[in-house]
Amino acid sequence: MDLVLQPFLRSLETGSVYALAALGIIIVWRTSLVMHFAQGSMGMFAGTAVAFVFNRSGMPLWQAVLVGVVVAGALGFLVDFAIIRRLKRATSVGKEIITLGLIMVFLGLAPIIFGTDPLLLPRFIASGDVALGRANISYNAIFNIVFGVVVAAGLFLLLQKTKLGLAVRATASNEPTARLMGIPTRTVTLLAWALAGVLGMLAAVMIAPTTTVTPSFMNTVQVTALFACVLGGFQTFYGPVVGAYLIAVVGNFLKLYVSSVWGDQLMYLIILVFLLFRPNGLFGKTYLQKV
Amino acid sequence: MSTSSTRTARPLSSVLKPARNAHVQFLVFGALLCLLPVLAQAGGLRNSTLSTLAFVLIYAIVALGLNLLLGYSGLISLGTAGFVGLGAYLAAYFQDDLRLGFWLALLAALVLPTLIGLLVGVVSLRVRSIYLAIASLCISEILLKTFEQLEWFTRGTAGKQSKYPVVFGLQTDRATMFVIIVIALVVVMMVTHNTVHGQLGRALHTMRSSEVAAQAMGVNVLKYKLFAFSLATLYAGLGGALYLFFLRSSYPSTWNLFMSLNIIAMVVVGGLRSIFGTVAGAFVIFAVPELVLKKLPVIGDVAGLPYIFSGVLIVVVIMFFPAGLKGLADLVRRPFQRLRGDRGEAGPPAARPPDSDRPSPPGAGRAAADQTAVKEGRPA
Repeated sequence: MDLVLQPFLRSLETGSVYALAALGIIIVWRTSLVMHFAQGSMGMFAGTAVAFVFNRSGMPLWQAVLVGVVVAGALGFLVDFAIIRRLKRATSVGKEIITLGLIMVFLGLAPIIFGTDPLLLPRFIASGDVALGRANISYNAIFNIVFGVVVAAGLFLLLQKTKLGLAVRATASNEPTARLMGIPTRTVTLLAWALAGVLGMLAAVMIAPTTTVTPSFMNTVQVTALFACVLGGFQTFYGPVVGAYLIAVVGNFLKLYVSSVWGDQLMYLIILVFLLFRPNGLFGKTYLQKV
Repeated sequence: MSTSSTRTARPLSSVLKPARNAHVQFLVFGALLCLLPVLAQAGGLRNSTLSTLAFVLIYAIVALGLNLLLGYSGLISLGTAGFVGLGAYLAAYFQDDLRLGFWLALLAALVLPTLIGLLVGVVSLRVRSIYLAIASLCISEILLKTFEQLEWFTRGTAGKQSKYPVVFGLQTDRATMFVIIVIALVVVMMVTHNTVHGQLGRALHTMRSSEVAAQAMGVNVLKYKLFAFSLATLYAGLGGALYLFFLRSSYPSTWNLFMSLNIIAMVVVGGLRSIFGTVAGAFVIFAVPELVLKKLPVIGDVAGLPYIFSGVLIVVVIMFFPAGLKGLADLVRRPFQRLRGDRGEAGPPAARPPDSDRPSPPGAGRAAADQTAVKEGRPA
């Protein structure tokens, strides 16, 4: 077994999960200037819905995921439509606290709606792996890596090449001005929240086979995704994605070669120390507020 | 108000002056709380209820620290539970393992979390405010793992056991520990009151309206944010030590993110920048699920209910009552104040205002009763 390539490939798989979750956080941040702390919990809720539908109805996994897309999109939509956009006078801190409150709501609701028994969700591709040099990688891992990269790349294309992407970037750059230019910023924000919900759900479905679907199964993903945003900086869409893969790789190697128990914690410390030297993240520019 | 009406109102305010003094209010509040253990010993209050109330007071101490942070500087900390847990384990380690006694254990539980808080603050507060939330989440995750893994310090998931401390040569028990908690709370309330009415408070107020303007006025923004955060961690450490001394055990799973979120909920529900509001918020968030919701017929058994309760309250309060319970109390009190003010104005200056205003204390009492009614009837 290759002791470098093997863990590297495995990190890429988890990195994809973190990247999707981080993308959800960053797209909400860029359009609404709110740190979306409930991203993981909403992903957990929609992911649990997928597992519930899959286990109860016996429909194929991809159909269950489609149900999940609808649920997650609707949740994101609802949160923005019913709560966030009604808070015109609240500061962004107030909105962030709302997302913190939503964590608790979704955490409390999931067992009530989907039952308290831990659910299982299978991999997309049940078995089979391929040798890559001296390392092995399962088809499912390849699928996850490719899927993560494709979703991220698709999102970048969407942001850079389409009219909708232009609207999102304009909203992200300056919401009031964008609105004055005739961009429907409210719709853009609504879409951003719905998209964040879907991305969180996809991350949940991808990480679910490695664990059981309980209310806490997205905690690590949520925390790591936030750190990925910090590491990559909040100014670009690609920064958090790079940060997510970086955290996955570094974390995995720390766990393997330094300490299996303290690997994650060491990495958190490294991120904190990193912040000391590059407070705006890898790709961040200095943030200046105009008066 | 015209000058003449102020003059007529003065005798009243001089009569009520001691009651208006915040420190006197805190002391009276503390004295009333000290009656609870007596009541419990007389059989008028269940011991379990007394314990629940003790935890309310402990959480109130922690939440007051967070209120300084959130209410005055708009900073979110997601690491509160980690710091409270650290305080608890330090208190246990110094009291039971090193046998250094109550005071040194308390000191350790105050100093170390504060130092760590300072470090976290220095690292994260230089950029955007929201970085503190993430950095404190970071440190909380590290602490939680430490609690689980560092067996010699915490006994891991098996849980650390402790005993009631000996204070001033006196072996404490449930009732005396309750009184100690009350004393700590009153001291914390006073310190908080003085802090926000002192230089720090003025600086934080200025920063709240405009950070840039504050900076231009020569306020060192970083310094005051750092001070607010370290004070919050200090309170958290104190809360942790009291938690341990009262419960005499600590398990790592207690100190998770949801405890931090609950503390935030207490501050939000109680009302930002309100001291009594925070205590009321702690009561609503911790005691109502414990004493009321659990006993409800059908939904009482639902495991996630306290979470939903706190979460929905956070959302509802921010959406509809940004001032929280404090705002509700003001709303209830306002008609009575207006009544009192009108009467002062209507009465001839020669009339003796204290007599004409004598009915007001019962009115104020009714306002307080309404306030508690609102507070307890609020479950969403």
